[in-house]
Amino acid sequence: MSMLLAQSRVEMLRMSRNVYFVFWSLLMPVLFYILYTRIFTTDAVDAQQWNAHYLMSMTCFSVMGSSIMTLGIRLVQERVHGWVTYLRVTPLPNSIYFGGKMIGQTFIHLCSIIIIFISGYLINGVSLTASQWIGSALWILAGSLPFLALGTCIGTFRRVDTASGLSNALYLSLALLGGMWMPLDVMPDWLRQIGSWLPSHSFGNGAWVLIAGDMPHMRDILLLAAYLVGFMLLSTYIRSKQKEA
Amino acid sequence: MNMDSTVIQLNNVSKQFGNKHAVRHISLNITSGSIVAILGPNGAGKTTTMKMMLGLSSPSSGEVTVLGMAPDHKQVRQRMGVMLQDVSVMDGLTVREIIRMVHSYYPTPLDTDVIEGLTGLAPAALNRRAEKLSGGQKRSLNFALAMAGDPDVLFFDEPTVGMDSETRRHFWIQIRALAQQGKTVVFTTHYLHEADEAADRIILFNEGSIVADGTPDSIKGGITKRTLSFSFSSDLDIRTQVEGLSGVDKIEYRKNRCILHTQDTDALIRHIITIQLPVQEIRIEAGQLDDAYATLLETIKEDH
Repeated sequence: MSMLLAQSRVEMLRMSRNVYFVFWSLLMPVLFYILYTRIFTTDAVDAQQWNAHYLMSMTCFSVMGSSIMTLGIRLVQERVHGWVTYLRVTPLPNSIYFGGKMIGQTFIHLCSIIIIFISGYLINGVSLTASQWIGSALWILAGSLPFLALGTCIGTFRRVDTASGLSNALYLSLALLGGMWMPLDVMPDWLRQIGSWLPSHSFGNGAWVLIAGDMPHMRDILLLAAYLVGFMLLSTYIRSKQKEA
Repeated sequence: MNMDSTVIQLNNVSKQFGNKHAVRHISLNITSGSIVAILGPNGAGKTTTMKMMLGLSSPSSGEVTVLGMAPDHKQVRQRMGVMLQDVSVMDGLTVREIIRMVHSYYPTPLDTDVIEGLTGLAPAALNRRAEKLSGGQKRSLNFALAMAGDPDVLFFDEPTVGMDSETRRHFWIQIRALAQQGKTVVFTTHYLHEADEAADRIILFNEGSIVADGTPDSIKGGITKRTLSFSFSSDLDIRTQVEGLSGVDKIEYRKNRCILHTQDTDALIRHIITIQLPVQEIRIEAGQLDDAYATLLETIKEDH
């Protein structure tokens, strides 16, 4: 247990010192938030509701990005630098190595959520009930699991360049098509169709529904669970293939 | 622990990658308290053999045991320290933080200040991010990390690559002290003089097989050749006489200088004087160890 805690602590320290992470997961979402709620505003929608809605979009955007990119690229880096091989000859079990990453990552996500929520409150005075704040934060934490699993798939790449290229592309297209940057309603019908099946949309939708005073839909929960299982199987499959080689 | 007890055992071990035989039918025992050099040129199978000892790679056939168990057994991991080639340090952490982290992996580790001392780094450097250290400093940190669990068996894969001469010297002093404490040390190298200076046993590898195994002196004696050379006037044709000399393994001519390779230079010089061979500037030289090593590996290749 102390091993797991020590390992998680180290992972948190490393993430918080990573410029890449701070830029993509904290700075970008907050900047986007300011851009789309303070600068490009339309009168067509209810401003208060839009501000809260977009705050959820950006929080999901942040946590999703850190799950896919930070985790994935880190895993590749650590393998390329031989660190993973080194750990294999120490008594540290593989499960603790991964467990530490997941716990560290989740804790950092919690911090990101709190920071972005606070900036929403400070920038636009977003006001939600306590249960809505807590509920949406918990949803975002739990909903990040499929993306962490996707991150471990990215983590199987042999080169940092390909991993970072692919994860960037995945991350941005998932965000865009999942309606995190702009609502799916403004997109052409066929894009909306695709978007509604993406995990990023279900991820965001759960939070959007929560702040509108509803409970997350079963469809979104099932979809996310299916993606979680799918990505975990894929990652396990690739890893076992690589071990044989 | 009994000083003669076997720590590492390889029993008819082979490793194949596709069609390539990296290691063929190797058997060896390494006893506790010894410093063993696995010597050979690049691609001889040294690293592959070490990886099998570490449980990072499993043999295609045969059996490897460390401390009587499979190398990847947790109890083995707790008692071994490893320094690998091409392992960088974990980024985003200070030297101290990395040491604390690795310290937490072992049941009976050295004290963190002892590990910090083993890095040989100044206190200011201990608080720096590990990725900002120089190449040599990173190696020193990796050495200290290998020692973190107070291991009984130590493995070093090409340990001194990237170390400056002072660090290198310091490193081998530490290794000798460790062996005196009864720890077993196995390292790979492709420098003969390093194996000669540091090890009390050399296992010479070439093309996946063990070609020699013994103390540095016995290995050296077997491969060092002496030469006798002299100048001669180009007017005289002494070649037939030179070719008639006995006990000469090889004759080389360089301009008007002739170099004879032999096992016994004393007998040869006596003979040359006796027959009054008209030559000047006779010199006897012990062959350079590294040259001899290179020659040995060449002859082995030719034999195949």
